[in-house]
Amino acid sequence: MARIVQAILKRLGGMAIVLALVVTVVFIIVRVTPGDPAAVMLGSDATPQDIADLRARMGLDAPLILQYGQFVLGILKGDLGQSIFLNQPVTTALAARAEPTFFLTLFSILIAVGIALPVGILSAVKRGTVFDQIVVTLTMVAASVPSFWLGLMLIQVFAVGQGWFPASGYGGPGTPFLDRLHHLILPAVALGVVNSALITRFTRAAMLDVLGDDYVRTARAKGAGEGRVILKHALKNAMIPIITVIGLSVAMLVAGAVVTETVFGLPGVGNLVVSAVLRRDYPVIQGALLAVAAIYVLINFIVDMLYIIVDPRVRL
Amino acid sequence: MKKSAFLLITLAALAGTSSLALAQASDGILTVATIGEPPSLDVMQTPTDIVLTIDQHIFETLYTYDAEWKSVPLLAAAMPTISEDGLTYKIPLREGVKFHDGSDFDAKDVTASLKRWMAINSKGKQVAGVVESIAEDGDHAVIVKLKSRYAPLLATLSQASVIIPSETVADTLTTFIGTGPYSLKERKPDQYTQLVRFDGYKSPEGAPSNYAGKREAIAKEIRFVPVPDANTRVEGLISGQFDFADSLPVSAYERVEKSSNAKPVIFKNAGWASMNMNMKEGLLVKKELRQAVQAALNPKDMMLAAFSDDRFFSVDASIFPEGSVWHTEAGVARYGEGDPEAAAKLLKAAGYDGQPLRLMTSRQYEFHYKIGEVAKAYLEAAGFKVDLQVVDWATLTTRRADSKQWDIFITHSNFPGDPTTINTITDTYPGWYVSDQKTKAVAAYMDATTDAAKKTAWDGLQTVIYDDAPLYKVGNFNAVSGLANGVSGYEPTYWPHFWNVAPKK
Repeated sequence: MARIVQAILKRLGGMAIVLALVVTVVFIIVRVTPGDPAAVMLGSDATPQDIADLRARMGLDAPLILQYGQFVLGILKGDLGQSIFLNQPVTTALAARAEPTFFLTLFSILIAVGIALPVGILSAVKRGTVFDQIVVTLTMVAASVPSFWLGLMLIQVFAVGQGWFPASGYGGPGTPFLDRLHHLILPAVALGVVNSALITRFTRAAMLDVLGDDYVRTARAKGAGEGRVILKHALKNAMIPIITVIGLSVAMLVAGAVVTETVFGLPGVGNLVVSAVLRRDYPVIQGALLAVAAIYVLINFIVDMLYIIVDPRVRL
Repeated sequence: MKKSAFLLITLAALAGTSSLALAQASDGILTVATIGEPPSLDVMQTPTDIVLTIDQHIFETLYTYDAEWKSVPLLAAAMPTISEDGLTYKIPLREGVKFHDGSDFDAKDVTASLKRWMAINSKGKQVAGVVESIAEDGDHAVIVKLKSRYAPLLATLSQASVIIPSETVADTLTTFIGTGPYSLKERKPDQYTQLVRFDGYKSPEGAPSNYAGKREAIAKEIRFVPVPDANTRVEGLISGQFDFADSLPVSAYERVEKSSNAKPVIFKNAGWASMNMNMKEGLLVKKELRQAVQAALNPKDMMLAAFSDDRFFSVDASIFPEGSVWHTEAGVARYGEGDPEAAAKLLKAAGYDGQPLRLMTSRQYEFHYKIGEVAKAYLEAAGFKVDLQVVDWATLTTRRADSKQWDIFITHSNFPGDPTTINTITDTYPGWYVSDQKTKAVAAYMDATTDAAKKTAWDGLQTVIYDDAPLYKVGNFNAVSGLANGVSGYEPTYWPHFWNVAPKK
């Protein structure tokens, strides 16, 4: 138990350092990038003097070190700042967009894992057969397909062609929760299918590694059924690389649903980041990237902890 | 029998005469797919197209543009009474108009709103420079006193100078209350902006004409939904999810035309593309080099690359398009097929030494980028060395404010109600167009009090613009949008509007 607590504390310390670095790097990148929220806000009629006046009113002409200090101080107080364009705190803007991103990520990973685990295991068990070759080929194709392209194809077939799903959006005013989730099915399939390719390949490779090991042979020699051999003996020992890739996929989905959210017009965190970058809404960019980084780090932390649970021999 | 037949025929004829015959309050909802989320709903602060499109349903100005882009009364009761010296405008206001919060619209709201507009809006600040005072004249009139004659006053009072209740005037608007046919119910950024019919709306009179005339909120509700991906707007329209989809790619025209759910709509001469030149610093400070740019370019090839098909653009040297009262060929020079030899002569005369010409464009508007690519080829054929800088739009708008960073940037605009409100003509707009002959030509225009005198003055100003070459007009483009079948009463305008529009049944 003491070993686990020590590992957790060690990891938490590392997370704090990573997040501090993220805060600094994001702040610098955002400020170094050309572009100006004042120019975007005022539109194309604005003269340089108008832009300078608005910059001063927004406090954007203050020394960078002062702005950085205010940003860090805010974070320590749990305040990510105020959006320049949305006229609301960044935390409120993020909270308002958490629902579609959370469920999109959840559905995508369920679809990805739901496809990848059985197919990957079966492919390894039936190594060299026609089924295995089809799986290897299809996973290569799926891994090469951009999710936004797949998304557009799904819209054409199932939204325009069949009319089963809406083409975009997350529902209008008063749309019930289940109807909102209905809007997520096509984007979740687009993301899930693409991500399933990587997980399938990892599952297959991990299972192939363990299926030839002595303990699997021993289990079979002792008369264990094939299902028990595969699921209890082989899969359990193959889980560490599979958990790693699932964890990475979840983290990438949180950070990487940007394009899919834009294509499907979903009001999620990814869409918020894109809008904020185009408008140079500094507080939102900083706050959203920090939140995404925190989730990323947290998922890695959970994966590390799962290692200990799955395999007590693992030391962190 | 005869009497009833006559009555039936009369009713049928009346029903067929105008789309306004459909103007019965409907329970329907219009779902409009826009190009993205408006950065704000404060149109005084952020007068961009997307904000103007949504806000025109909520807010109203004293005047608005009719089909000829002349300013005609909206919240004003009539055209202003102008003193003989042209310095005092008395603007009568309509009575009985109410704001969405139920309060009465009066002169106090006008003075408070216009003062805010003059403090924060770019065009408003220009007006502030010539305004001596704005004062109430009773509850239903305001008096604007000018320091000098200012011909574009009514045009500037027709866009973004919206009237809000005096009680809500603040540096940062927190409530969005206007007098328009629709009121704001809810805005969920990146999801929707929901407007609902304002039952207390008092419409101006007259036949609908562009933004002028009778306005009726037929649809119970309008939902503006941001859909940044153009292909998704197309698919959403065709699948029946949207009633209107704005700014469709020209490549989608046939697809929408063939669909059974929607039809494409072309709005001719929606705007014009231009290449603005830096007259303050760098290579193009020399007039001969700016004229060499004019001579080198081929506008038709640039527009064809940008818009694919001549159904979607026209090449016209006049700064304003045919059909506009400001259309003129006066002063047109060095605009045509692209003449590399003439351009090379001008380069030689200017002593061009091969310094790269920094041409800045953006892929955020794909047609800007394509125009830039073709321009580069033509300029290089004439002997320029070209450094094509492709950046995102936010970067471009920042860099263009610094005269050290560029020589030409590509942009586009709509056709304003008054020619002197073209951005390039402003001394401080990036490009910094300052010349003695321009100052004189603008002064002549400002002094003009009749339409004929303004037209003559504009001829003179366009002539000066072609000679000074602060910009190169590339061409006029049409806007493509899509309308669902069954939606009736929609008339294309630069900022699409949905009063007088009946939703699908």
